[in-house]
Formats: sequence, structure tokens, C-alpha cells
Amino acid sequence: MGRRRTHEYVPLPAAAALVLAAAACGTAGGTGGDASGGDRLLVWIMQGTNPDETGFFEAANTAFTDETGIEVEVEFVPWQDAQNKLSTAIAGGTMPDVAELGNTFTPGFADAGVLRDLSGHGVDTDRYIPGLMEMGQLEDGVYGVPWYASIRSVVYRSDLFEEHGLEVPGDWDELRETALALSEAEEDMIALPVPGDAQYSVMPWIWGGGGEIAEQGSDGVWTSGVDSEQAREGIGFFTGLALEDGTSTTGAVNWNEIDVMEAVAEEKAAMAILGSANPKAIWEANPDLEGRIDAFTLPGPDGGYMPSFAGGSLLSVFEGTGNEEAAWRYVQHLTGEEFAMRWAEETGFFPGEADRVDVFSAEADPILEPFAVQLKEASRGVPATPAWTQVEAEKVLVGMQQSILNREATVEEATTRAAGEIERILNGG
Amino acid sequence: MRGRRALLPWVLLTPALGVIGLLLLFPLGRIVWLSFREYRLRDLVSGESDFVGLANYATLLTDPYLWRVALLNTVLFAAVAVLTTIVVGTLAALLLAALRPAARVFVVSCVMVAWAMPAVSGTYVWIWIFDVDNGVVAQALTSLGLLDPSGYNWFADRLAFYAIVTLNVVHGGFPFVAVTVLAGLLTVPRELHEAARIDGAGAWKRFWHVTFPVLRPVFAVVTVLSTIWDFKVFAQIYLMPGGDVGGSRMLNLGVWSYVRSFGHNDYGLGAAIAVLLTLLLLVITVFYLRALFREDGLR
Repeated sequence: MGRRRTHEYVPLPAAAALVLAAAACGTAGGTGGDASGGDRLLVWIMQGTNPDETGFFEAANTAFTDETGIEVEVEFVPWQDAQNKLSTAIAGGTMPDVAELGNTFTPGFADAGVLRDLSGHGVDTDRYIPGLMEMGQLEDGVYGVPWYASIRSVVYRSDLFEEHGLEVPGDWDELRETALALSEAEEDMIALPVPGDAQYSVMPWIWGGGGEIAEQGSDGVWTSGVDSEQAREGIGFFTGLALEDGTSTTGAVNWNEIDVMEAVAEEKAAMAILGSANPKAIWEANPDLEGRIDAFTLPGPDGGYMPSFAGGSLLSVFEGTGNEEAAWRYVQHLTGEEFAMRWAEETGFFPGEADRVDVFSAEADPILEPFAVQLKEASRGVPATPAWTQVEAEKVLVGMQQSILNREATVEEATTRAAGEIERILNGG
Repeated sequence: MRGRRALLPWVLLTPALGVIGLLLLFPLGRIVWLSFREYRLRDLVSGESDFVGLANYATLLTDPYLWRVALLNTVLFAAVAVLTTIVVGTLAALLLAALRPAARVFVVSCVMVAWAMPAVSGTYVWIWIFDVDNGVVAQALTSLGLLDPSGYNWFADRLAFYAIVTLNVVHGGFPFVAVTVLAGLLTVPRELHEAARIDGAGAWKRFWHVTFPVLRPVFAVVTVLSTIWDFKVFAQIYLMPGGDVGGSRMLNLGVWSYVRSFGHNDYGLGAAIAVLLTLLLLVITVFYLRALFREDGLR
């Protein structure tokens, strides 16, 4: 055949070009951003489990522009993508001027040197909730102003509790019995989802049993207590609800907090570990549930309360944007009296200033009362070290929880592995 | 005269080469450069980094995760997915070639919808279909009594996880093969088939001894392209439950590179994984093309 001649050999460059051309489909071109240096202030706000925020920002930004003449553009960033988006923005020089940063990843970004040290601006660190403020401080610097606190407790269906004559549980055994009674009474519902992809729902059980996620010794070395007897007892109890008592569902292994919230909103779950901003979002999604859900503080193993993770956000100013002064004014604007309180009222999060928590709780919806108790009496933070960001990014606790729920590992095996990973990361391995 | 003729193709290629150089060779060079450096979040901010020689590659090649998980997942998955894509695509092309023009247009349009579907949306549809509690598949299997009502988390099972990824990728990739092979099929001289039929050749023999040899270059191209695509699938794995957990057994090289870079903020090591993946593809592609065309040349 005559065509043979043209195909006798394949030159290497042709093969290379093929590989490159096909690989090009996955390569994003560089973007030359112009986010910085202009009159407009670019603000990144996180989005996920909180209620709709657009109305709040319209009001807050109009007030800010009226006062200062500076225009503000708010971009909403889903929580799951936040860390990656920030990293790529830093690499591409398209950072925002102000960003809401989850308290667990503020130390990491502060340590990397992207955030402006606000200590020269007279931030009164004593005014804020200590656990939240601590995450914004690194040595003598202040890299974020606490904006709001979020805390997780249990949201439950008060109508179902009433219907089946159930009481709010006061310890772990009662919680288990309540969950068992609910699964029996409501066959089509999930009594208490045990999610696999929600690390903050796992942390309380580590602390509740008496364990520590990680502690720094006097020699500076971190030791994780996730594999301690106490932590194992708590984790074993929580995962046992799914594996032995069947109060969860197989699919919950893949659920994150948003999925858990949706399960409640869709009337598929009767109890769930959720944040204080979730009831509002649930009512937005399903107005029928108004008046039919309530909350209780996470019970301790033998009564009392079990510590829950105090999350929340700080507002940070990025370094090197050319807009630092205007950005700082915007941070003050949002954390100031008027808009901090209004934000709390509209979302159900707690204000970042300790004094305002009480003022807010006194007037807030009664469903927030158990959350306020949780925040004041039984809340904990994660280890305040820049490396913690990596523990979250690697999803160490998620991996642990999922391997237990998938029955791939026992509680002992999974916790041993997780503790090893945490120690490796925190000790700079 | 000869000199001018040799120069002309290069002149014509200049614009394309310029674009490739700017959009591909520069980032590629940058990745190679990155892979020799200690590059963390802090270096990203300061823009300064240290040369560490082959340290990233040493870390990478001694990591059991590479050998037991990432490389294994990448290679096995690609092999199965490429084979399935080619077979399904060829069958679709043979069907299309046998149809009347009107019916052919209709079927091609349907097939192209799968091709046009963005990987992200497609992946979410497959996740939804395989939802552990309420997915169509779970409900169908449960009602047939093949699955325990408490369900089964296939996303945690490496084989099932990759079976879903394969379905997704084959579904997205077969239309390209089908349309390309169809174009080739229409060029196969009708007389060859008629002659073969008169000689008593069945459908399989006609395909294997008449169609396939004529279409060998077409198959070479679709195989190479599919191989490249399937080696570097990303969204179809990353978006699946468990596909983004560092240390999970589901990652392939591409996702691992991303998790290393943006999860661990270890861009140097992430770049080293990317370079490894590129080299792997380059070797496979050269090998593939040479083997296929050498056979063609000897015949």
C-alpha cells in the first residue's frame, strides 16, 4: 500500500507534542488579576452552612461606601475550596484585600506571612472570646479580628420527642437510648447521623472521653492523645451508634456538615450535631420545620456537658495589596457594634466579642440558648499552631472516622494511625 | 528550491508553536523547576525558595504510597478505561455505520451529548446515581433483593470506586472514539467487504481482517489520546466521596499531586509527582506509537 511510506517511524517530537496537547486540556492559563491597588475593596466571605448573606452585605457595604467613599465588592467562597483558592490567589497575586478566615487556618496563613500584623492598630485582644482570639495571634502579632463564633451542639426534632414522650438526654447512655427509641419509633428516619466527612462532629467525642487532640510538651514536641484510652472510648461510642446501634445510615460515611444539615431540613434526620447558624438555614430551606426543632447542649459521658469545637471566623487584612488601610477600616466596620450584632441576629452565629455574646443571647431566638451554654461552658479549640492547617487539609480525622465507619479499621487501629499522622505533621515531618 | 520548501512548514507552524510555547512549555518548565526546590506556602508568599536537588524525587520514589496506591491506581485504571472506551466506541461506530443517514444523525446527536457534558456535572450525576442511601442503583438492587437494605458504601471499596470512575470516564470518552472511528469506517472501500463476504468471512473476520488493518492509524490515534486522558483524570476522582482525602487509597497520580501541593502546601513535591506523570505518559506514548507503526511498516 502506498500509504505505508508516511508512517514508517514516529519522531519523538510528534509524540511529545501529542502528550503536551492533550495535557493542555488540564492546564489553566495564568490570570493577570487586578484585584489589588484599585479603589474597590475586594472581600472574600465564606459560604456553606450559614444562611443567605447577600442582604446583609448589601446593607453593610452601602453604609461603608457612604461613610468612606470606598466601593466594596464581596465574593462568596465555599468553605471546602477556601484554602486552595487562597493559595492559588497568593501564587497569582490576586489576593483579596480582606478575607474571612476560619479560625483553624488563620495561624497557617499568618505564619506564611500573607496577613498584615494588626497589632499596631490597637486591637484590644482582651475584648474577644479567648479561644477565637488566640487563633489570630502568633507571637506578638495580631493577624485577625474575631468576627463571629460558631459552636456545635445537637439540633433535634422537638415535635417527635414530644410525640414519643422522649426527654432531652443528660448523658451518653441516655443519648444512646433516645437514639435507639427514635430509630424504632420513626422507621424511615435517621435517628442520629454519624457523619464521616465532618471532623468537628468527631472532636467532641475525643474531648468528651477525656482525651486531647494534641498537646505540646515543655520540649516543644507535640503528642497526640487521639489514641489514648479516653479518646478511644469517646470515638468508639460515637461510631458505635452507627455500627452497632444502627441509629445512622451507611451513606452518612460520605456526609459533611452540609449533608447532615440537609438531612434535618428534608425531615430525614431526627437529631444531629449541628452549628448554631444551622437552625436558621434549615428554616430557610423548609419553613414547615419552624417551631418543630430545638437544640440541646452536648451531654458529657456521665452528665454535665461535653466540650464542643468552638469554630468561627476572623477577618484578616492581606499584606501587600496596596489597600491595607482601607481594608483595616472595613474590618473595623464589620466587627463594630452595629454590623457585628446585626450579623449575629441574621445568621445565628455568636458575636466575636465576649461581652456581646450575653447581650445577644438574651434577645436571640430561644433555640440559641443551648448553644450559648455550650460556647461559654464547654467549648474547645484546636491546637493553636500553624501546622494544624495541614492536619485539616490532609483530612486526618476524616480519614480516621471514615475508616472506622467503613469497618476497614478498628477504633484502635484508626486512632493509632491518626495520632501518628497528627504528630508527624505538627512536629514538622 | 529545496531549502525553501523545507523552511515553509516551519514558517506555517510558527504561530501554533508560539502559542504552545507560551501556554505549555513555560508552565511545564516552571513545574520542572519547582520540582527541584523546597517550596512551601511561605515560599509562595516571599517568592524565594531553595534548590534541593533531587530531594523531592527521592522522597517521592521511596514513598510506599506511590507504589502501592497512586501509581497502581493510575496505571490499572487507565488500562481498563482505555480498553473499554475503545471497545465501546468502536461498537458504537459500527452501529452508526450500519444506520441510515437520518437515524445516524439522531444517534450521533445523542452520543455527542455525552461528549459535551462537562466532567464536573457528569461526575455529580454519577455520584447521585450511586448515592449510598437513595441512589437509583442502590434502590434498584435493594428492591431486587440483591442488596441489604442497610446499603453498601461502594465509595469506600477501591474496586467499586474505580468501577464507578470507569463508567464515568468511558461514558465521557467513548463518543470521541465512536465519531473518529466512524469517519474512518466510511473510507473503507465497500468492495473489500463485498469480496470478503463472497469468500465467506463472518462479521468478526471482516472487521478483524478488513476494517481493522485499514483503520490502524485511526486506532493508534484514539488509543494514544485516550491513554493520555485516562492517565490524568482529575475531577472524576477528586469530586467523588473519599477522592480528596489525603492518605485515602483512592487517589491517582494527578489527584495526589494536587493534594500534595494544595493540601500539604508542598508545591515542590507536588510538582515532582506531576513531572513523573508527564514522563510516564511520554514513555508510554512513544512506545505505543512506535509499536503500532512499526507493525504497520513491516506488513
